[in-house]
Amino acid sequence: MPISAPEPLLKVERLSAGYGKIVVLRDINLVIGRGEAVALLGPNGAGKTTLLRAVSGLLPRSGQVRFDGLDISRASPRETVRAGLVHVVEGHRVFTQLSVHDNLLLAGYGLPRDVRGAQVEEALAFFPEIAAKRNDRAGSLSGGQQQMLAVAQGLVGRPRLLMLDEPSAGLSPVLVDRVLAAIVRLREAGTAVLLVEQLIEKAVAVVDRVYALARGSIVLEAGAREGDLANRLEHAYFGQDVSAPLNG
Amino acid sequence: MTRARIESALPWLALAVVGVGLPLLDDSYLGVIAQRAFIYWILCAGLNLVVGYAGQIAIGWVAMLTLGAYTTAVLTAGTVAEAWNPYLGLLAGCVLSAVFGLIVGLPALRLRTFYFAMTTLGFATIVTQVALAWRSVTGGGVGTPGPVFPWPFDPGWGFYYLCFLLAALATWMTANIADSRFGRALVAIRDAEVAAEASGIAKPKLLATVFVFAGALGGLAGGLFSSLQSYITPDAFTFDLSVLFFIAILIGGRGSILGPLLGTVILTILPEFAAPLVAWSTFLYAALLLAIVLLIPGGIADLLDFKNRRPLEQHREITPRPELLEQVLGHGGKASMLRLKGIELHFGGVRAIDGLDLDIRSGEVHGLIGPNGSGKTTTLNVISGYYTPSEGAAELNGVPFPLRAAHTRAGYRIARTFQTPRLIGAASVLQNVMIGGTIDGAATFAEAVLTLPRHRRDERHLKDAARLALAAIGLEQLADVRADRLQHSELRFVEIARALMLRPTFLLLDEPAAGLSAEEIRRLGALIKAISRAGTAVLLVEHHADLIFDICDRVTVLNLGKVLAAGTPEEIRSHREVVSAYLGA
Amino acid sequence: MWESIASYGLAVGAVYAMTGITYNVMYSASRVFSFTAGMLGMLGGVLGALFIARWGLPVIVGFLLVLACGALIGVVTELVTVRPVLKSIEQHLYVLSTLAFALMVQQLVAIKWGTDAQPFPRLIPIGEGLLDQKFWLPLLACALTMGGLEFLYRRTLVGRAFLAIAEDSYAARALGLPEQHLRMASYALAGVIGALAGFTGAEMLLAFFGNQSILNFYGFVPVALGGMGSNRGAVIGGLVLGVFQQAANFLVGGIFASVAVFVVFIIVLLLRPEGLAGASLARRV
Repeated sequence: MPISAPEPLLKVERLSAGYGKIVVLRDINLVIGRGEAVALLGPNGAGKTTLLRAVSGLLPRSGQVRFDGLDISRASPRETVRAGLVHVVEGHRVFTQLSVHDNLLLAGYGLPRDVRGAQVEEALAFFPEIAAKRNDRAGSLSGGQQQMLAVAQGLVGRPRLLMLDEPSAGLSPVLVDRVLAAIVRLREAGTAVLLVEQLIEKAVAVVDRVYALARGSIVLEAGAREGDLANRLEHAYFGQDVSAPLNG
Repeated sequence: MTRARIESALPWLALAVVGVGLPLLDDSYLGVIAQRAFIYWILCAGLNLVVGYAGQIAIGWVAMLTLGAYTTAVLTAGTVAEAWNPYLGLLAGCVLSAVFGLIVGLPALRLRTFYFAMTTLGFATIVTQVALAWRSVTGGGVGTPGPVFPWPFDPGWGFYYLCFLLAALATWMTANIADSRFGRALVAIRDAEVAAEASGIAKPKLLATVFVFAGALGGLAGGLFSSLQSYITPDAFTFDLSVLFFIAILIGGRGSILGPLLGTVILTILPEFAAPLVAWSTFLYAALLLAIVLLIPGGIADLLDFKNRRPLEQHREITPRPELLEQVLGHGGKASMLRLKGIELHFGGVRAIDGLDLDIRSGEVHGLIGPNGSGKTTTLNVISGYYTPSEGAAELNGVPFPLRAAHTRAGYRIARTFQTPRLIGAASVLQNVMIGGTIDGAATFAEAVLTLPRHRRDERHLKDAARLALAAIGLEQLADVRADRLQHSELRFVEIARALMLRPTFLLLDEPAAGLSAEEIRRLGALIKAISRAGTAVLLVEHHADLIFDICDRVTVLNLGKVLAAGTPEEIRSHREVVSAYLGA
Repeated sequence: MWESIASYGLAVGAVYAMTGITYNVMYSASRVFSFTAGMLGMLGGVLGALFIARWGLPVIVGFLLVLACGALIGVVTELVTVRPVLKSIEQHLYVLSTLAFALMVQQLVAIKWGTDAQPFPRLIPIGEGLLDQKFWLPLLACALTMGGLEFLYRRTLVGRAFLAIAEDSYAARALGLPEQHLRMASYALAGVIGALAGFTGAEMLLAFFGNQSILNFYGFVPVALGGMGSNRGAVIGGLVLGVFQQAANFLVGGIFASVAVFVVFIIVLLLRPEGLAGASLARRV
């Protein structure tokens, strides 16, 4: 008797979304298992950011999104955060007028007061470099530090799934590695990660599975360790059908 | 065609009949109300162009009424100098109000909506206070008598006909403007300012003209008002009245003449027929405005727009007809080239463009690709004059070419489309396309107001050219449909039709394939190729790799603001560095 | 004479300043310029006179009731005129919706309360002449408002959430902040400040429906000149405006004072459309 697979942490079915009249995503299906790290790759304009926004509730969408057994298809970002799904948006947008510590406190806005402080410290522990600057205005941090702060904000609520939108954008290679190392630690701690990235090699190195999105549809799904992944990705980016692995 | 003409003329005929025939009822009370409605409409007709068409929130326009009223009254009464002829007094009121219309309106070019609204309110208050204080001239709180016009426009039904005729004249003139390239340009400034600039529309000059015109009409209304009232005091010009004018236009709906006319008539008549309502009239107007804003932002005009309620065919296809392009573009066959050399553009510390050389030649489709943030759209914006580069220069056919002032590009026959279609949702597809040909109009504003032959010729040519452009891109069946009813892909093609109206030497396309289906992209590609074969130089910024490799003659790849590679599509496709850049290594 | 100018000018200036802060709080929360700031001030005076003079409630009770009404009306404003319009694409509509609502309330007051300015009761029997409480109450209220806001923004989580929404509402939403609740709370706060301004200023301005237009304009001038969103700019601008207006009144008479203010206002705006404090990157508090 086959043991039925446990329900995935995130299950997206027939998701469509766009901006006003412009339909960007058509019928997206994807799953993320508990504690799994997944990369979402694809050329510009494919809809990666749109997909994250649709899942977290920042954009209206049609279709179904289930998270940890909960139907969040019509949920607001606030509700998805409370359910344990956090979206760290593109562009390391932190509140520059507030201190690092205040930025993190706000990330814990929905938490009860007594646990808020402790969880903020936990999140800071991931990034000792900004822990040292806790009372500085976020606007005085460098781009890389702001990115770390943004990720730390995402961690305050102890999410079960953390979605990161291009955390490497505008960062030096050293800082990129730092951020990606944090992702590895998260995975080890049992947090699932959905990583949207432009830097394919580095992203593939830290995840278990890979989706490729092009022109609003999923064009590839593969394990991160599969041999001819690089080739298949190239074909996916430039428009050829690569649903099956190539020979050789 | 004739039936549509009759249908649209019907309301005007009805109003004309009522206006001309009312005296037959011989009810002087009705006559006074009607005169007041005519006078208010004369002011509102002008204000309609400012608020309804140009979209400027000029709440304090009662100031024009005050200025016109006092000027006419004082000059005719002979308080300051020898008594003037009332007609001349009326004219003087017009001129003074026109001048102040310009003064009050100019801040609109620099200020945000709300700020401008506040300044008009402040101005209205000032004018009333000056009227109150300048006792020697205006009579202060006591007031001053209004002019009495001689036969045949003496008080009573004679004056009624004067007001009626002037109201009809005001309606005719503003309708002419509305249906001219000036009216369309105003709406373009209101709803799609960036696209208006690209079509060569200069905002300052147009707005200034409209403010002067609206001021003049307001002054005319004021002069007539002072005669109707026979005696004017400052408290006849209340904030309530200003609110009435403003709300009448918004209830009537923006971009319409009939709507605001009905709105003005209704708001003038309403308190008269429900006596207990008089005290509540401003409250009701405000409540009506709130209801309109929340429920029917388009106002009465929207309600009367039966044409746009007819359902559209569900499965529509865009079928371009490239064979018409020769006629649309009408190129003389002269080859042109735009060359960019060493362009650099810095935003703060960011080098958006870091040394760019680019050639765009007639008859070629030149693709511009690159990862996000590589500077593709920025390059387009530099060529179309929205950004001035920090370094570098451009040449047009060997002659130095300035890279600034977006509204001058149209004159150089440089047309463009935008990343997100910038069209006027409330206007028809045909009107949107006609905007593209604005700079080719020869008639002046005055000729448009009086609908003189040169203006009518302009309009005919413009309309024909627009229909042809729409036929070329394959959407002529949707010409009279409101643009906001169209699908996204159709809007993209309409933008191209608008750009074609310039008979462009250079056509800049900003990601035209975004959001299109595979079949639509194929047709788009064929259309773009045909446009270039007809002689236009096309610069195509795109993400869709297949479209680029399909139709481009040459491709330039940007990365981080620099040229990474340039050559034929085949060369680029196999260029290792290009692939890496895209794949982000 | 100069003492009189200073006394009256600073007091009225403080009322203008608080009205300016009311504009700022609403703007920070919603990016909407609302026409209801002057309305709140007018209601502060009218309702105060109603509760204390007509109904005979004790001053403190009347005062708290007025503030509560301000908060309530602020919330209604957000629900009826701002929230429905924010969803729409047409940006200009919010100017019209807040204008319409403010006009409705003003007309209601004109009809029910009357169009004559009614006297406002003496609030605290302290001070005489130019040091009468009617002159320093608004200043005290203004100082308390600034202090209170400072405390709110620096020391409370809600206040910091207000700042977050004001700076980047998209990031705030993504972070899970309850954007709608916070916006409503901001409008309630604006309602309280506006009502406070009108209440403390009513001994000078009287309970008068026409105060709405006056406060709308003169409360806006400091904000326009000091930069939208900058409360410090609003306070400085308000006090300067109040004194300037009084001085002009005394020296050249009422009409020219108004004209002078208006002309200065226009000129500064045309030269620096973003206000003297600079672009919207100005500090929020």
